[in-house]
Amino acid sequence: MDLDLTPEQRAFRDEVRTFIREKLPSEIRERLRAGHPPRKQDTVAWQRILNERGWAAPHWPKRYGGADLGPMERLILLDEAYRAPAPLPQAFNVGMLGPVLMKFGTPAQCDHFLPRLANLDIWFCQGFSEPGSGSDLASLRTAARREGDHYIVNGQKIWTTTAHLADWVFALVRTDTEARKQEGISFLLIDLRTPGITIRPIHSIDGEHHLNEVFFDEVRVPVGNLVGQENKGWDCAKFLLSNERTGIANVGLCRERLDYARELAGRYTQAGKPLLDDPKLRADIAMLEAETRALEITNWRFLLTDSEQKRLPAFASVLKLKGTELQQEINALLARIVGPGGLERRSADEVTHGPIAPRYFLSRAASIYGGTTEVQKDILAKAIVG
Amino acid sequence: MNFELNEDQAALAESLSRLLADRYGFEKRRALTASGAAHDEKTWAGLAELGLTALPVPEALGGFGGGARDLLPAMQAFGRSLSMEPFLASAVLAGTALRLGADEAMQTRLLPGMASGEIVSAWAHDEPAGRHAPLWVETRAERKDGGWKLDGIKSNVPAGGLARYFVVSARIAGAPADANGCALFLVDAKDAGVALREFRLVDDTAAGELVLTQAAAQPLANPEDSTRTRLAIQGTVAAGIAAVCADMSGAAQAAFDLAMDYLRTRKQFGRLIGENQALRHRASEMLVSLEMARSMAMAAAVAADDASAEDSAPDLHRAKLSVARNARNVALGAIQLHGGIGMTEEYAVGHYLRRIHVLDQMFGDADAHAARLAAALL
Repeated sequence: MDLDLTPEQRAFRDEVRTFIREKLPSEIRERLRAGHPPRKQDTVAWQRILNERGWAAPHWPKRYGGADLGPMERLILLDEAYRAPAPLPQAFNVGMLGPVLMKFGTPAQCDHFLPRLANLDIWFCQGFSEPGSGSDLASLRTAARREGDHYIVNGQKIWTTTAHLADWVFALVRTDTEARKQEGISFLLIDLRTPGITIRPIHSIDGEHHLNEVFFDEVRVPVGNLVGQENKGWDCAKFLLSNERTGIANVGLCRERLDYARELAGRYTQAGKPLLDDPKLRADIAMLEAETRALEITNWRFLLTDSEQKRLPAFASVLKLKGTELQQEINALLARIVGPGGLERRSADEVTHGPIAPRYFLSRAASIYGGTTEVQKDILAKAIVG
Repeated sequence: MNFELNEDQAALAESLSRLLADRYGFEKRRALTASGAAHDEKTWAGLAELGLTALPVPEALGGFGGGARDLLPAMQAFGRSLSMEPFLASAVLAGTALRLGADEAMQTRLLPGMASGEIVSAWAHDEPAGRHAPLWVETRAERKDGGWKLDGIKSNVPAGGLARYFVVSARIAGAPADANGCALFLVDAKDAGVALREFRLVDDTAAGELVLTQAAAQPLANPEDSTRTRLAIQGTVAAGIAAVCADMSGAAQAAFDLAMDYLRTRKQFGRLIGENQALRHRASEMLVSLEMARSMAMAAAVAADDASAEDSAPDLHRAKLSVARNARNVALGAIQLHGGIGMTEEYAVGHYLRRIHVLDQMFGDADAHAARLAAALL
């Protein structure tokens, strides 16, 4: 039993750290440190720099532009990105669609899309949720009927993160309305420039535009854009949702935000004294650091140990539950620290004054997306109670 | 990075679990406490037979030279079975103090007997006024007639009544909280200056208040070597933290298992109570806490073994803080899921809260470790 990186892993960490220090533009770093979300151009620029090293999609095979890295090396890349902080590789492209194409896609789909996904030449968003289908995803109603070489798509998606920035959407659509709800679903790739698509913004409680509604009105999608078999899209969706486990705990993010909380608590003063002089605040930070360490070790334990994965196959829900709880508590702590000084609504151009309070509001989404906290608890309860 | 037991650790854990299942079922433990016995002599003999009492003792002195990692699965098994054996007091605490603080002659005199289980010793360091301060020592040592005499009071000495020897911290100079000026002494329980007020802790385990009045004492090594003393105390406390973190995570696991069984068997309103989402969600929250406790019990073991590593000191504090909180959450949830039966002394689940509460109070409670981490933030 040990918690150390091997000498090779340590060397890899140092290599990544040096790479990021040398290549990451300082303006991007400062914006993220202050709490701004990454801008599209920043994510694209940084992902292309990473992609030259195979680090944009590190777990993909080399022939598709990845680096064939194992779970520990992926975690190191992720932790170092958070530590910098640097933008993360675009998750819909790299973490979600890429692996689905490799498992279910045709060779032609893989050859065409994978290099473009890795280099962020095209930006995908995810069209899963619908107004009537949130946690109960399989009840979705957006329909696709076959006409010759095309599917004709009609319906509506909602909560579509970055649709307004995206070129394509991967969507779950119903291709058989008679079958049981999981069995009539297909997985389609849809070019967002196709006529009949309308994207409307949804502003979230941080005041920003991350989310959208996407409407499909007689949208023609070539049948060649079907991934896997018709009516077997639920398999793709299940694989996609269970596949992305490396980043689910967000340990690096918790740690980076806690470091920033310490930094701000040393900088913000109250009645002439740094907030860090307050033992209660320090104890709160210490407590969150201890729990972050517990999550980090739990994350390693499950991601790196086959016997632990076998003991609790639903482990990802443990990581998601604890990770979101900590992220939310840390964002609340940051909002407490900036206090009255964080109330003024500022423009996103003010790099040094990050949206700490808005980001605290936005952090409430973490226990809603990717399977709500309640859905995760249902999953765990099934595993432990039956 | 590696999170698995090696073959020896796994084999020992299995033999121990079998021994404890046989000797320490909950009803047997109840009978044991009712009998007034401080522990089960046959179990203790069994531990010696398995080589467990020899595990932390250096190989040269008849032991296996095991560390906190090797003890982790054993301590978890003790927690699961609510063991009352003096293993923590003697093999872990007194044994570590002697290994780190005693000269060769004294180690040779005591450790082989402790390895074989024949000698039980106890660690007498905490004092009432110190509460959770790790190095608070008011007990005085003075040189007299070519030897040493101790005066002072040591509180909540685990397994005090079973001990033939006490390893006692005492001050030869300075004020109670000074980092320097302490030395470790061996005190024979039969000495005329030794009085032990024996009692049970709230988890039924035996402890005592040690009152030393001009008690004859032998320094473990050169008493002027304050640095060695401090390191020996810190190392002993580190071993203790690792051991009780493992124990608490084992206790939490057992409480969790009982609660899950109950959810699967107890019926109310015509259906299993485990079908109710409120109860299912609480069970899931308990699982998350349990996994955090398991992870931090590992962190504590690694930190205690690798005391010089960068993360060692903060990891010990974080572990004691996190395991205590998370294990307590599991125990509280387990009682709640049981309802009324969880409140009864004749049912096991509440005993895990009692044990976790006691272990939380040893070597600094969750608040004390949070405060120490907080102080280090400056």
